[in-house]
Amino acid sequence: GSFYSYNMAAFCKGKHRWKINNLLRVFTRNLTGKCEYDLVVIGGGSGGLACSKEAAQLGLKVAVLDYVEPSAQGTKWGLGGTCVNVGCIPKKLMHQAALLGTALKDAKKFGWQIPGSVCHDWATMADAVQNHVRSLNWGHRVQLQDKKVKYLNLRGSLVNEHTVKGLNKAGKEVRLHAFVPGAAEYGITSDDIFWLRKSPGKTLVVGASYVSLECAGFLTGISLDATVMVRSIALRGFDQQIAGLVTDYMEAYGTRFLWKCVPKRVERLASGALQVTWANASTGSEEKDTFDSVLWAVGRAPETKILGLDKLGVKLNSETGKIIVAADESTSVPNIYAFGDIGEGRPELTPTAVKAGKLLARRLAGHSTELMNYDNVPTTVFTPLEYGCMGLSEEEAERRHGKDGIEVYHAFYKPLEFTVADRDASQCYLKVICERGGHQTILGLHFTGPNAGEVTQGFALGIQCGATYSHLLQTVGIHPTCAEEVVKVSITKRSGLDATVTGC
Amino acid sequence: MSLYEEVSVRGYEEFCQAVSDRKGKDIFAYFSGDKDAQGKSWCPDCVKAEPVVRGEMKHLPEDSVFIYCQVGERTYWKDPNNEFKKNLKLSGVPTLLRYGTPQKLVEDECLKSYLVKMMFTEE
Repeated sequence: GSFYSYNMAAFCKGKHRWKINNLLRVFTRNLTGKCEYDLVVIGGGSGGLACSKEAAQLGLKVAVLDYVEPSAQGTKWGLGGTCVNVGCIPKKLMHQAALLGTALKDAKKFGWQIPGSVCHDWATMADAVQNHVRSLNWGHRVQLQDKKVKYLNLRGSLVNEHTVKGLNKAGKEVRLHAFVPGAAEYGITSDDIFWLRKSPGKTLVVGASYVSLECAGFLTGISLDATVMVRSIALRGFDQQIAGLVTDYMEAYGTRFLWKCVPKRVERLASGALQVTWANASTGSEEKDTFDSVLWAVGRAPETKILGLDKLGVKLNSETGKIIVAADESTSVPNIYAFGDIGEGRPELTPTAVKAGKLLARRLAGHSTELMNYDNVPTTVFTPLEYGCMGLSEEEAERRHGKDGIEVYHAFYKPLEFTVADRDASQCYLKVICERGGHQTILGLHFTGPNAGEVTQGFALGIQCGATYSHLLQTVGIHPTCAEEVVKVSITKRSGLDATVTGC
Repeated sequence: MSLYEEVSVRGYEEFCQAVSDRKGKDIFAYFSGDKDAQGKSWCPDCVKAEPVVRGEMKHLPEDSVFIYCQVGERTYWKDPNNEFKKNLKLSGVPTLLRYGTPQKLVEDECLKSYLVKMMFTEE
């Protein structure tokens, strides 16, 4: 796209509420001339929206540029970013749909007279989920307008550290690098799954990240045939003992796993179905199967190319393409900051993006010097058996403190609700990793079970305040719950004793 | 000067009829408490919001429809099971909404001309 050349004199006579060289300009083909702002945010997701609204409330003149480049399959969505449109929100709602399916099965055991078998209709669920997401898009739009943040539905890119250019359609095509023939043409990603009008049918999910497992999980839960193809390990970066429990549960629950398999090609058959051929590293042979859909969950890369960062010398991590940031979210170029998923080494989570964005806004407005604390961020994986955690994995704790420097308290427990429902609780587990000796500060908490997110959130407060094992012992449990097993945990891994605890 | 159609209805049935008569159109609906013989609504916010909404109507998209709907008397409205609350999920009056979409402005949001203009002018 073209852009207007700017007049240096016009630039200099700007507002003086702040250092003159912090003024930013946005210009687009449609607006007459240029507009001046104190802060321009590229990206209207969790981080961008939080930062821009906070900054506007503190008196800065703010603009947000948000643009959705349609996915390879043509899926588009509105304001709100990944979380609202193709992440957290639709994910949790579809996970809930799947949980309700399980609850319906349990219901008969609890006396509900449910005639025959119950089946699931994708279109009804998708419609409801998509409508909710659209209401969130609207809500964000209203909020921005209300807080006087200028919203531009344009693709932003940096001309220099004071100038952002907006394009109303993609400047160039970004081709999906298809290392697997047929991958791009016939596959979908998590950008598409939540927006399908028709059921994906029998689905192959390639990848073993939380995105992959969560998607395969809810697909299984709504009675679709789902297979997960894993190249090496599941939930890389998470505690691997727990990752095993999560995938064990999923296998027992009906999801098929293809371990140590790598896709080779995807072809469309005359019937319209997709035939996937893969290499099985365990057997050394090639295998194939047919599916209705193939979902690629092999990582989300940032669209930094289109931002024009290389021109400005903003340093990126060459492997991930993410922006290298300092503790205050600054980049290698003064005036340019990066936070949210796009920051190298940052958790790809909405709450950290939101908080980092707000704190940055306060610092930029001169209201605070507080930096974002990225330690001890709790999170939850919403697989059929949910996994909540905070702090260090056991592997990381051992790396930092040595095996002898930590004490791991653990328990296998059975949720009361599973008893009458006759459900297998073999993978319902928790462990509290503490420093050995001294105050026995809690280094990490890991919990698998129903409502893991709700359980973990509460304990996160305690750990944030420096809770120790003795604090845990001093805390009285709420009965009957699963969470109380955390405060009752007493068997150590070191003792070698059976960690199965019984209810009352 | 955009050409839109303005329709005035009273009550839920008339509203539904007006909508079904105009399938496929971009329909904006403004819900207000009934006006008395003097033309004054029992809903004070509705009285305040109407001039604000009318002030932005010049921004309505071409060929769209603007339905002005009087919902009923105060006692009817107060009933939590009235048809507007149950079927259209209205939570208060005034409400300005774009039919068939999640776009809506409720109560004091209707008093903000920039929000009304935004609804009329953006997709």
